[in-house]
Amino acid sequence: MLTLGALAFASPWVLAALLGLPLLWLLLRVTPPAPRVARFPAIRLLRGLEPREETPDAAPWWLLLLRLAMAALAVLALARPLLNADEGLSGEGPVTIVVDDDWAAGRDWPRRAAAMEALVERAGRRGREVVLMPTAGFDPREGPSVRPLPAGRALDLARAMEPKPWPARLGELAEALEADPPPEGGDIVWLSNGVADPGEAEAIEILRRRGGLTVVAHDGRGPRIALAPDNSGGAAAVEVARPAAGPAAPVAVRAVARDGRVLARTAGAFAAGERRARLEFRLPAELRNDIGRIEVEGEAAGGVALLDDGFARRSVGLVAESGFRGAQPLLDELHYLEGALAPFAEVTRGRLEELLASGVSATILADSGALPEVERVRLAKWIEAGGALIRFAGPKLAAAGLAGGGRAAEALSPVRLRAGDRTLGGALSWSRPLAITGFAPDGPLAGMDAWGEATVRRQVLAEPSVDLAERTWARLSDGTPIVTGRPMGRGWLVLFHTTASPEWSDLALSGLFVDMLRRLVGLGSGGAVRTKRAGALAPLETLDGFGRLGPPPATAGAWSPAPDGAEPSAGPGLPPGYYGTEASRRAFNLSIDPDALAPQPAPPPGVAARTFAGPAETDLAPFLLLAAFALFLADFVATMALRGYLPVRRAGGRAAAAALLALALAGAAGAPRPAAAQTMERPGDAFALEATLETRLAYVIVGDEAVDRVSQAGLASLSDALARRTAVEPGPPMGVDLEADELAFFALLYWPVPPGHPPLSDEAARRVNAFMRNGGAILFDTRDRFESAGGAGGSGMRRLRELGRSLEIPALAPAPPGHVLTRAFYLLDEFPGRYAGGAVWVRDDRDAAGAGEVTPVILGGHDWSGAWARGADGGFAFPVVPGGEAQREYAFRFGVNLVMYALTGKYKADQVHVPSILERLGQ
Amino acid sequence: MIRERAEALAARFPPLRVEARRVAATVLQGAHGRRRAGQGETFWRFRRYERFDEARRVDWRRSARGRELFVRETEWEAAQSVWIWRDASPSMRYRSRRDLPEKAGRADVLAAALAILAIEGGENVALLGEDMPARGGRAGLELFIAAMLASPGGGSAPPPEPPPRHAAVVWIADFLEPVEVYREAMAACVARGCAGHMLQVLDPAEEVFPFGGRVRFEGLEGEAPHLLRQADRVWGDYQRRLAEHREALRALASRAGWSFARHGTGQPAVGALLSLYGALARPPAFG
Repeated sequence: MLTLGALAFASPWVLAALLGLPLLWLLLRVTPPAPRVARFPAIRLLRGLEPREETPDAAPWWLLLLRLAMAALAVLALARPLLNADEGLSGEGPVTIVVDDDWAAGRDWPRRAAAMEALVERAGRRGREVVLMPTAGFDPREGPSVRPLPAGRALDLARAMEPKPWPARLGELAEALEADPPPEGGDIVWLSNGVADPGEAEAIEILRRRGGLTVVAHDGRGPRIALAPDNSGGAAAVEVARPAAGPAAPVAVRAVARDGRVLARTAGAFAAGERRARLEFRLPAELRNDIGRIEVEGEAAGGVALLDDGFARRSVGLVAESGFRGAQPLLDELHYLEGALAPFAEVTRGRLEELLASGVSATILADSGALPEVERVRLAKWIEAGGALIRFAGPKLAAAGLAGGGRAAEALSPVRLRAGDRTLGGALSWSRPLAITGFAPDGPLAGMDAWGEATVRRQVLAEPSVDLAERTWARLSDGTPIVTGRPMGRGWLVLFHTTASPEWSDLALSGLFVDMLRRLVGLGSGGAVRTKRAGALAPLETLDGFGRLGPPPATAGAWSPAPDGAEPSAGPGLPPGYYGTEASRRAFNLSIDPDALAPQPAPPPGVAARTFAGPAETDLAPFLLLAAFALFLADFVATMALRGYLPVRRAGGRAAAAALLALALAGAAGAPRPAAAQTMERPGDAFALEATLETRLAYVIVGDEAVDRVSQAGLASLSDALARRTAVEPGPPMGVDLEADELAFFALLYWPVPPGHPPLSDEAARRVNAFMRNGGAILFDTRDRFESAGGAGGSGMRRLRELGRSLEIPALAPAPPGHVLTRAFYLLDEFPGRYAGGAVWVRDDRDAAGAGEVTPVILGGHDWSGAWARGADGGFAFPVVPGGEAQREYAFRFGVNLVMYALTGKYKADQVHVPSILERLGQ
Repeated sequence: MIRERAEALAARFPPLRVEARRVAATVLQGAHGRRRAGQGETFWRFRRYERFDEARRVDWRRSARGRELFVRETEWEAAQSVWIWRDASPSMRYRSRRDLPEKAGRADVLAAALAILAIEGGENVALLGEDMPARGGRAGLELFIAAMLASPGGGSAPPPEPPPRHAAVVWIADFLEPVEVYREAMAACVARGCAGHMLQVLDPAEEVFPFGGRVRFEGLEGEAPHLLRQADRVWGDYQRRLAEHREALRALASRAGWSFARHGTGQPAVGALLSLYGALARPPAFG
C-alpha cells in the first residue's frame, strides 16, 4: 500500500510499469500510422510528386501524447488507486467485526453494510482474516460463529447479510465470546445500532479486555418505534416512542392498507423533552377499518405496527333461524339491520351458536321472545367475555312473559320491562309519535346528533327502578327510555325499546340508526372476544428487517402463546408478522418495550468511538479505465482522420480533426449507456405490411379452390378497372384466412358464400364481428341468384344463414332507390353481377339510427366476381346472364361504386342537401 | 399499376440506351427551338443563282421579290459519317463517390446519345475501331449500340486504323495517357481530312484531388502504387500538372483544327452532349 495524501495505491508495484513509458514513446515515434489506400486513375500525374517541406515520417506529437496518456492511465488503474483509503487497522491477526443487524439497524442498513464491506476489504488487502459476528442474525442452534474466515468469503457473507426484525441477542454473543475470545492485539470493530440492548455492556466489556475495540456508532437520532394503535375513539391513534427525550423533532406516520395503498399520512412532532408522541388519523370509519398496518416514516421493522381483524372491522352476527334472506326483505327486521351495519361492519347471519363460535364481537338479536335456557347461558357467558349483545323489542318481546316473572339479568335485558307495549299516536289516541331527542351524557351514545327525524310510534316500557336512569342511554322527547344498556362482565347488554323495522318507529329508516349502531357495535370491546384458539398458528406473512411484509423465511416457526398466556417475544424462530390463516390472521408485533428503549451509553474508557460519518473510500480504477477507453476511442478517431478516412476538408483539416477529437473525448467521458436497438419481428408483420403498404381489395378464402380463384381474378380485374377509371389504385388483391389473419387493414371484404362454406370458429366470428363493428364493410356474395327465383334464396343463402348465427349481422333491407351505393361514383339503378335482377340487401337504415355510417353488410347473390373475372388470356372468364356487355359494364360500375362507398363513406349522401344549400346561397 | 407497366416495358431496353435517348431528347428539344425548313434539312442561306444551278432549286418566292433569281441553299447536303471512339479501358471504370456514374458509363451514354442525335440528323454513325460500316437510320443505331455493348474495351489509345476520308471523328476519353499517344492517332485522322472533336471525361476526384494524409495510390491499369506521405501537400503540384497536361491536349487539338472540351461526371451529361453536338453541327473550320 502506497499512500500519497488522500490517494493510496493498493498494488503499488504495478506503478513500475510507468518506467516503460519513455520506451513506448520511442517505439510510437518510429511507427507511422498505416497509409490509406486509394484507387486513382490519374496516378501517372502523381509520379515524382512529393511534398516540398519534408517532415519526418512519424506520428504527430499530439497523437503520441494521447497514446502515452492512455498507457499511463491503464497502468495507474491496474495499481488500484483508492481515494480516502481508510487505514485504521493497526493490529495483527484476524479482524473481528461485530455488526448490529437487529430491528434497529434496518433504517440505515446501506451505510452499515458499506462500512462493513469497507472493513472486510481493507482487512483483505492486508491479508488478514475476518471474524464476522452479527448480533441478531446468527444461527439460533449453533450460536454466534467466532471462526476466522478468509476476507473473500467474509465479503460474500457481509454482502448477503440483511437486518433482522428481532432484537439483538447479546447474551448468547457474550457467551460465545467468553468461550472463545478473539486473540489479543487484533482489531475489533463494533458497528452499533445506536440503542442500548440488554447485555450490550457485558459484551463490550469482554471485547474491551482484549484491547483494540472501536465502537462505530450511528450519529443521527435513534430509532423510533410505533406502539400498538388504538381504534376506539373517533379516530385511529398511534403512539410513537423515541429512545431519548431530546429536543422537539418532527415525526410522521402512514396508515397503509393491507394491499399496500397508503390510506393516510399524519405528521406530528415529539415535544421537546418528551419521549412519546401521539398521532391521530382522521379517517372515515370505512377507511379506518381498511388499515392493515401503521408505519413510522424513515424507520424499518421497529416502526411498523401490524394490525389484524381485532383492529379492523367489527364482525357482527345477526341471529336468524337460517342464513338465507327472507322472500320479502322489506318486512324483515334483519334487512334493515344488515343495511345499517354494512358500511362499517362485517355482518354474518346465522344461528346463535354458530355466531358465537365464529367469534363475532357483537351480536344483534331482533325481536324475540324468551330465549331457551341453553342459549341464554351461552349468550351470557359470551357477553361476560367481552361481547356486546344488542336486542330489539317488538311484538314478541312485548308478549313474552319476560317482564312478568323473570328478573332482568336472567332475561338478558338491561332493565325490567313491563308487559305489553305503549302506542303513541294512531286513530284512537290523542298522543303523537315522539322523537328521539335526548342522549345520556355519560352513556356510549353521548353527544349524538338526533337528526330530529326519527319518531317512535310504539315501544316497550321499562319498569321504573333505581338504576333505570343510569342505564338509559337515549330517551324520547317525553323522557321515556328508548335505548337502555348496562355492562355485564367485560361485555355489554343493550336493548332498543322498539323494533329494528319500520313497524314501530321510523328509526330504522333514519341516519341516526346507523350512527347509533356504529357506536354500540364498537362496544364489543375492540373485537377482542377471542375464544381461546387451540394451539399454534402457522406463519402467514412476516416482516423483514426493513419492515417489509413477505413470505415467511424457512426458519420461521409457529406462533403459540407462552404457558402463562402472555405473548411470546420475537426471535429468529418467530419473526413479527401475521400468523394463522388468510381468513383469520393474527398480528404478531415486535413489541419493543418503550420504557426499555434507551440510547446507547457512551463506551467505557479504553474503547475508541467513531461514527459512520466521513468520506467513503472510493476505488478510482473504474474511472481511470473508463478514461483510458475514452482516449482509445479518441485515438481511433484521430488515426482515421490522419489516414484520411474522415471527410476532412483539406484546408481546415487540422482544426476539424481537433474538434472531432474533443467531441469523441466528451462523448466517451459521459457515462456510456447501453444502446439496445430492438428489432422484433412478429409472425403477422409480413401480412400487415403487405396489407397496409398499398390499398388492397381483399376476399375471404373459403377453401374451395375454384371459388377462391374466381374471387382472386375478379378482384384483380376490378382493381384494374379502379386504377384505370378512378383515383384509387389498389395493389393486387389479397386473400384473407378468417381463422388466421387480421382483418383491420381492409375497408372492404369480398366474401363469396358457396354452399360448402366451412363453418366459422369462434375466433373467426369474433374477428369478423370486430371488423364490422369497427366500420368495415363486407360484400356477401351467395352466387345463387340463378336458383332463387323467389325471395327464399338459394343454397348459398341458406349456408349464409347458418353462418350468420355467430355473426352480428344487423337488420337488412333491400337497398332503397337513392342509396349511396347507387351514386358513389356512377349513377346506377341496379347492381348486376353475372346475374341480373334481384335485390341487394344493405343495413336497414330506415329508422335512421346508423344513417351516417357505411353499412357493414352488403348482401346479394349476383356472383359479382364471376362478372369481373378475366381468364389468363385477358378475356372474361364467364358469360353474364342474361347477357350483353352492357350488363358486364354495369357490374364493373357497381364494383367501382362499392369500393368508393367503402373507402369514402356516405359523404355523397350529403348531396341531398345541395338544393337547399344552393337556395340559401342564392338568397 | 400504370407506372409498373411502363417500367416493365422500359426494362426491355438496355439502360444505356434509355439514358442516351433521354439525354439526346433534351438536346433535340433545344435544337427544335430554331426554325427548321424542311425534313432534316437546315436552311442555310439564299444565294444568287449561278448558271450551273438546277432550275428546280430556284426559290421562286424569294426571287419574286426582286429582279434576280435566288437559290435556297440548305446545310449539309450529303449525309456525313460520324466515327465515334470512346475509351473503354479499365482506367475509365472509376468513380470516386457512390452517387457518381463511372467515367466509362458516362462516356457510353454520351457516345450513344451522340449517335442518336447524328442519326436523327440524317447522318451515318459507326464505332471507330470495330470494323463496321457507318450506317444511318434505325438499323444503324441498333448496330451502333450493339457494337458498343459488345466491344470489350481496348486500350487507352484511339485505335490505329483511321476512319474513311472526310469523316467526322469524335473521341470521348479521359486522355490521361501521355500526349504522344494521341498525337499519332490524330495525325492519321488529319491525314485523311477528318475533322475531329475531343471530349475529356474526368471524375471530380481527378479534378480537385480531395486527398489528405498518408495515402498509397493504386492505378487501375496495373501501374505501380505510389505512396504520398502527406497527400494534401501535393495538391498544388497536382493541379498544375493536370492543367499542363490539359493545355498540351488542347494545343494538340487546335493544331489539327479539332475541338477540345472537358466534362466532369459530376455534371449532367446534357451539357457535354450539347457542346459536342454544336461542334459537330458547325461546318468544319477548313470546309
